[in-house]
Amino acid sequence: MATLAAQPTRDRTTAAPLLRVENLRKTYHLGRVDVPVLRGVALSVREGEFVAILGASGSGKSTLLHLLGGLDRPDAAQGSSIQYEGRPLHEMSTRDLDRYRNREVGFIFQFYHLLPELSVIDNVLLAPMIRYGRFGFMKRAAQLRAEAQALLTQVGLSHRLKHRPAELSGGERQRVAIARSLINKPRLLLADEPTGNLDHVTGATILDMLMEIRAQRRQTMVVVTHDEHTAARADRVIRLLDGQVVTA
Amino acid sequence: MYQALLTRRYLFSKVMPLLAALAVLLCTSMVLITWSVMGGFLNMLIGTGRTMTGDVTIIWPSSGFAHYEDLIQRLEKDPMVAAAAPMIETPGIIYLPDGRKEWVMVRGVDGRSYARVTDYASILWWKKLTTPLPKDKDGNDPRLGGLAGITWDEVYQNGLNLERTNPDTGQPEAAAVLGIEVSHFNLRSAEGYYTPIPRAVPQPNGGVTIANEFLPRSGHVTLNVLPTDITGKGVETATAILPVANEFQSGLYETDKQVVLVRLDVAQKMLHMDRGRPAPPPTTGGEESFEPLDAGTGQIEPRVTHVLVKGRGKETDSAALAERVSAIYRGFAHDHAGEVPDSPNIMTWRELNGTFITAVEKETALVLVLFCFISLVAVVLVLAIFWSMVAEKTKDIGILRALGASRMGVAWIWVRYGLAIGVVGGILGGITAFLIVHNINPIHEWMGRALHITIWDPRIYYFIVIPNQVNPMHAAIVMAGFVLSCAIGALVPAVRAAMLHPVRALRFE
Repeated sequence: MATLAAQPTRDRTTAAPLLRVENLRKTYHLGRVDVPVLRGVALSVREGEFVAILGASGSGKSTLLHLLGGLDRPDAAQGSSIQYEGRPLHEMSTRDLDRYRNREVGFIFQFYHLLPELSVIDNVLLAPMIRYGRFGFMKRAAQLRAEAQALLTQVGLSHRLKHRPAELSGGERQRVAIARSLINKPRLLLADEPTGNLDHVTGATILDMLMEIRAQRRQTMVVVTHDEHTAARADRVIRLLDGQVVTA
Repeated sequence: MYQALLTRRYLFSKVMPLLAALAVLLCTSMVLITWSVMGGFLNMLIGTGRTMTGDVTIIWPSSGFAHYEDLIQRLEKDPMVAAAAPMIETPGIIYLPDGRKEWVMVRGVDGRSYARVTDYASILWWKKLTTPLPKDKDGNDPRLGGLAGITWDEVYQNGLNLERTNPDTGQPEAAAVLGIEVSHFNLRSAEGYYTPIPRAVPQPNGGVTIANEFLPRSGHVTLNVLPTDITGKGVETATAILPVANEFQSGLYETDKQVVLVRLDVAQKMLHMDRGRPAPPPTTGGEESFEPLDAGTGQIEPRVTHVLVKGRGKETDSAALAERVSAIYRGFAHDHAGEVPDSPNIMTWRELNGTFITAVEKETALVLVLFCFISLVAVVLVLAIFWSMVAEKTKDIGILRALGASRMGVAWIWVRYGLAIGVVGGILGGITAFLIVHNINPIHEWMGRALHITIWDPRIYYFIVIPNQVNPMHAAIVMAGFVLSCAIGALVPAVRAAMLHPVRALRFE
């Protein structure tokens, strides 16, 4: 595996947690039936920390990840909040949440979620395209393309730049997703069962890669998993059971 | 940026958007072809009306009016007027050499002055050609070759002067010029030229002989007209046997089928409008009557029913010219008080053909509206295709939202995608329409030959060729309209895509 070179990092000396979650609640409404998924979750994640959220299927861990990543909004409940660097995520406008997802967060999904019509390198460049807009991107195109190429080289896919996702194996797709999640240099990496769709060996390789990223960049990572082995490599494990934290 | 990338990728990686573009192409070309042909038909109609009558016409039918030469002099002194010419128009019957008789419109004109006001000189058909017609690749037009017993120049001059030399006397005598379709003795080829053909002539004993005669060389026709006295009342039928000097092709089938030109003096004589005829006693009541007696001789002045006026410049404002002509006529009527009508009809070429032109205008508008309604199908088609594509691409939308794409940004992908389909379909439709309209006559002729389908029958649509010009402004309007329609069609699915919840979109199966 290629070594992941460190990229420029921000000043990360703040003592306050990067993420602070208090009394987080989320209920899905299925017709007339209310299904509470998160019931008063509280947790915090410090800068550079690797936190694993462990739980069985249906425990609410993916929902928690979506809320942390600004993909969804929590229920409006007394004292319920998600603070990112002290800013209330749950009160942000849609536009600010879009910006938060694009600049502060990198997502890695279990099923990779690559756009099938785009090549590997275009999939990686999608996030900076969204970030900088047409003219901003064009101005930085050469630099961003070089960065994307470097990231893909670092994850061992330099020979696959022009390939479509359908032409890649599961492990390769996940490596593209990792490169895509890092291209905008996010402070927070959120991974939802990143090895869940891979065989044991490939999954271990991906996990090694994430660990290396974390070590080299002091990357803050929250990984959702149901796998004890994966969770065992985290700094801290938060166990979820029926939408509540049982061990933090 | 990502919208452009995705639009490009989506457009060429799926069959559905290409089908939508094809639908837009077909609708664009359908509307544009219809507009071009119908609009061209209208323009040809208007243009041909001008070809044969000039810009403005002064009309006093039946009895006609005298002192027209004075009127023409006054008109031609005006800076707005390029030329003016007298004309008599009356219905008549023509007896053709094969014994057939047809209703025709007889126009008495002075060939030279008529040619100055109208395009008469250029529409005379039989004349020497040095280069073949564009479609006559093999050069089979008889006008390219020689003519036994007479020259093409002579035939052409005969046409201009409306006379032909009598071979027995060696003297020129008054002749008729027929519309090219009047006699049925000319066979029109697909290449656009005419060939004189032999004809069957019935004999008194019931038999038939075949005559092979070229009318402008040796053919004669008999004309019957019904003259009127100066009050407009009919008197005895007048008959004249006239040699044929030439034939003309105005391009308007109805004119080419029905109009026969004779010399002005012949028409005046046949209709009792010439000098020297004693004026019948005036009647009381009914139509306004005049006694335009020459003060010196006591004879009646010659009369015409029309004076044709041509304005200066290519784009004459006919309405302004008509006003000017009216003013000139008022002075003329004042000076000839009691001898000429006070208020004849003074009509522009457009008003003269008003009923017909308005009917065609309305027909064109109606057809366009109908086709535009049909073209709404393209909008609905784009909407339906995009609706299903948004459903298919739900996960992609979730991914884009997860990467930080805004709702507006996601919506713009689909609107842009609709615009792309509109632009591709619209431009290709415009090109298709241009190619079809430009080659519509060969296509129509091929359909006639190969499939025995004749859509454009000149007896119904008046013109012998189908208009084949695309108006660039019309093309731009139609193409822009379809691009806009596609964007509108994409708007609803775009809003739907933008409103998708990112998490639900990501979990979509």
